Amino acid sequence: MKTTGWRSLVLYILGIGFLAGMVFFLACYFTQGGSWAMRASNVHLDGVNQLSGAGTITDRDGVVLAKSEDGNRVYHDNANIRKAMLAVVGDTRGYISTSVQATYRSQLTGYNPVTGIGSINDKNGGGSVELTVSSELSRIALQQLAGKNGAVAVYNYKTGEILCMVSTPNFDPANPPSDLDSDETGKYDGVYLNKALSSCYTPGSIFKLVTTACALENLPDLAQKTFQCTGKTIINGHEITCDAKHGTIDYRDGLAKSCNVVFAELAVELGADRMTKTAESMGFGEVFRVDGNPTRKSVYQVRDATDDELAWSGIGQHTNLANPTHMMILMGAIANDGVPVNPYLVRKITTHFGIPVHFGGTSQGPRLVREDTAKTLQELMRYTVTSDYGDNMFPGMQVCAKTGTAEVGGGRKPTGWMVGFSSNPDTPFAFAVAVEEGNYGRTSAGNIASAVMKAAAGKS
Amino acid sequence: MEFSQDVQNVLAIVLFLLRILTPALSIAVLAGCFLSLKRGRRREEPVVLLEDVGSGISIPVLYWENSIGRSRSCDIVLPDHTVSRDHAVLMRRESGWMITDTNSKAGTLLNGKKIKGDTRVLPGDVLSIGSSALMLKRVSDGTPLPPKKPPKKGKLQIKRAPSPGKLMIGLSVIQTFLSAQCCLAQGKFSWEPLLAFGVLLLLSWGLYLFSTKALHRVSFEVETVGLLLGSVGTMLLTGINLTPNYTQLASFFLGIVLFCFLIWFMGDLDRVMKWRIPIAVAALVLFAVNLVIGSSVHGSKNWIILGPVSIQPSELIKIAFIFTGASTLNKLQTTRNLTVFLVFTALCMGALFLMKDLGTACVFFITFLVIAFMRSGSIRTIILVLVAAGLGAFLLVQFMPHITNRFEAWRHVWDFADTTGYQQTRVLMYAASGGLFGVGLGQGYMHQIFAGDSDLVFGMLCEEMGLLMALVVILAIAFLILFARSDVTRSRSTFYSISACAAAGLLLFQSCLNVFGSTDILPLTGVTLPFISAGGTSMMAAWGLLAFIKASDERTYAVRRLPAAKQTQPIAPRPAKRAQPKGRRGKA
Repeated sequence: MKTTGWRSLVLYILGIGFLAGMVFFLACYFTQGGSWAMRASNVHLDGVNQLSGAGTITDRDGVVLAKSEDGNRVYHDNANIRKAMLAVVGDTRGYISTSVQATYRSQLTGYNPVTGIGSINDKNGGGSVELTVSSELSRIALQQLAGKNGAVAVYNYKTGEILCMVSTPNFDPANPPSDLDSDETGKYDGVYLNKALSSCYTPGSIFKLVTTACALENLPDLAQKTFQCTGKTIINGHEITCDAKHGTIDYRDGLAKSCNVVFAELAVELGADRMTKTAESMGFGEVFRVDGNPTRKSVYQVRDATDDELAWSGIGQHTNLANPTHMMILMGAIANDGVPVNPYLVRKITTHFGIPVHFGGTSQGPRLVREDTAKTLQELMRYTVTSDYGDNMFPGMQVCAKTGTAEVGGGRKPTGWMVGFSSNPDTPFAFAVAVEEGNYGRTSAGNIASAVMKAAAGKS
Repeated sequence: MEFSQDVQNVLAIVLFLLRILTPALSIAVLAGCFLSLKRGRRREEPVVLLEDVGSGISIPVLYWENSIGRSRSCDIVLPDHTVSRDHAVLMRRESGWMITDTNSKAGTLLNGKKIKGDTRVLPGDVLSIGSSALMLKRVSDGTPLPPKKPPKKGKLQIKRAPSPGKLMIGLSVIQTFLSAQCCLAQGKFSWEPLLAFGVLLLLSWGLYLFSTKALHRVSFEVETVGLLLGSVGTMLLTGINLTPNYTQLASFFLGIVLFCFLIWFMGDLDRVMKWRIPIAVAALVLFAVNLVIGSSVHGSKNWIILGPVSIQPSELIKIAFIFTGASTLNKLQTTRNLTVFLVFTALCMGALFLMKDLGTACVFFITFLVIAFMRSGSIRTIILVLVAAGLGAFLLVQFMPHITNRFEAWRHVWDFADTTGYQQTRVLMYAASGGLFGVGLGQGYMHQIFAGDSDLVFGMLCEEMGLLMALVVILAIAFLILFARSDVTRSRSTFYSISACAAAGLLLFQSCLNVFGSTDILPLTGVTLPFISAGGTSMMAAWGLLAFIKASDERTYAVRRLPAAKQTQPIAPRPAKRAQPKGRRGKA
């Protein structure tokens, strides 16, 4: 029986497993319980104004964007600022799942794991959130979008602070339109999304930066190469058109003038494997996180693609998709010689009792671009601005950029893009602007980028 | 009757206080049970002695079943080359002391005659084992033993422990608190929960009086734990629509009946050993019947539905599984390999895979490991079995990759919140809604989720009664391993020790699967939480398993033994005052 006695110690292995699991569960419960409980699908929260006692949300200049008064959620006085900040601040119901009012709902409401959901009422005060975003810049971006749908994102690529993040269409959270949930015309499609984070668009010509990076790294004779643009080129029996007849042209002017022939032929020469490798190393197919909220993955998929499809992919068509926040981060990476700083928009969270519980801070992400490639891209993108767009778009900011006009088919006008960054150390801002049915990238997205960057430079 | 707003406000405070008091009192009762168990346990003292006829040295006989041999792992070590490693087993049975030769080379002689099978030994009889001649003596007749060592420092000395009656009163107060919460749940007084309360009181005190007054048993700790857990579960279910869950109450009653029956059944070890094979065959037949006429409910074909009655055979087979696996020491010494039990396990697991009941298969597997290790002590065997199981699981995934789809949401449930992670996210959401003290019985929404009151009951428990009460419940189940462990060398046979450990391990592991599965720490497999989940067969099985733990406590059968002992005049029914310090005493 003695041996049976010590063999029974085997039960303690189970016991230890149980204790370990329990400790792990309790740790999760006390750290994440708030975000579990404060989900919009929690029936306990139905019919109660969850944010009736929630704390204040302020922008980078201390402007109060949302606060609670007498059990009601009150937003900024200016309807345009309310709309411009909707994607970041969020709606009262918490339907915009990546917004501050949804992500930090438990901190804002002052949920605590001791009394659980019972603590959510207007008698308790909640914590307050301080953002890095400027409501004024966001208002300008919204104004410039002028009723078009799309996304604007600007951040400081040295510190990671997001200065502007706007998504359209949107609505006024203080006076939600009565047909918001019943509308069937589609005018509110995407109002519950922060399109900068959670949507993707066909990139068009901005993708030529990826093709260029791939060529720089794989074709040693790239600088000597010339291409013949007759307004089109035939690949694998299919015609790939160009907006103009550029004649004899090298890759440098090809990028500045956005010649399709150059990059279609380059993509075919590089091949699917090398193109995929570069695209993936630059963050296509990857999730980036902004304060824990994931971006939608950008897509580059040329496995089983024919040569003509590969050619289209090289100029940002085919099935390519790009996420605006990813593009902004990629611009930050190029500006920083290849290594991006992770963007964030929550600067500080303070509890009701004034104890700070969260600080946003500067952190580096994994390298997206090889250092020499990044330096060459800076130069090429700068040349693109000076030779083609005109430096007066961004006076004094030494902006490096690329536009895109992405065909989307289905009778819709092309998506206009502009991505870039200021290489002036006084204004270290990177941006990505996407405008649905914007037509030419330079006139649609370009004008928005120009206005927001000028305003950002004026503020700094 | 509706209450006015002022009364409502007072009521809210009262209910909140009740939600704090219930777990607090539950902790007190459980702690009392454990202290009482430690206190009431027999000290490890020899009952009889074996006196070496040649040298006159006494060897204490400490256990109910004692292996004798040359091996250092034997309970009585005879360092003599003519003795086999495991030579014989000296056992205490109903009728007195017995000796069995366990396939030794030289054989065992009783008073000069070679023994065959189990042979009765009386005081004064001389056993010849190898070159040693040992005489069985009562402790009172033997040579004086060295005085008892003072108790070790640092060891908890329990001076006072609450009596079983006091613990029962505590339990009734807890039941009252729970019922009061149910009655007042809707802001008005509902009387229906009182019916459930009445039945619970009746069951608890009925079992208590039956056990202490009719059967004169001294201990009631294990039953108190079972009754407490069962009451919590029953009142939780009553709270759903404030009417008693009659199925649950009926199976509570049947569970207690099964508990009493099994304890009676296990009273006679010969009967148990005789019925082990028929029980195993019956279990396999039941599995076969299940596979043929069973009904598939939500993906698992583990139900037999006969008119109004639906049962889950795999729950009852858990009991049969432990019966088949456990064994007495003499049988363990003579049949060392695990082949028969291994085949039985394989058949059970095979049947469970065919039923697509992966969770229960895991429970059987862990129980098998506990039993196999306790029987063989062979770490090599365990590793071999684990490797084989790992290989099996690997092949299963290779050839049936779709089964991994069931686990795609594991550790990413929020990304699948409306599909495969729906259930787990609801558990987390509502568990966190409850806080430490819960939103109150009948105030939750977890029960509206599919399986919310069975496989996901942990979420419901946290939501309505609070995290603290949920922890008390889970810890109470976990403490059963300490109950089982504390009696492991004091039980009447290794059969009881092994079965108690297996039952406690099974209950704990199943609880782990339930709690960690529903909270996304392990993949969700869908097993019930013993005593708490809705489900009649599950409740009965939990009580059946508890019977093994109760049976391993020798005091369960102590009273019944006394009158018989007087008639047949065996050795010293009460342990002597003087004791030998724990340790081996070989031949000088």
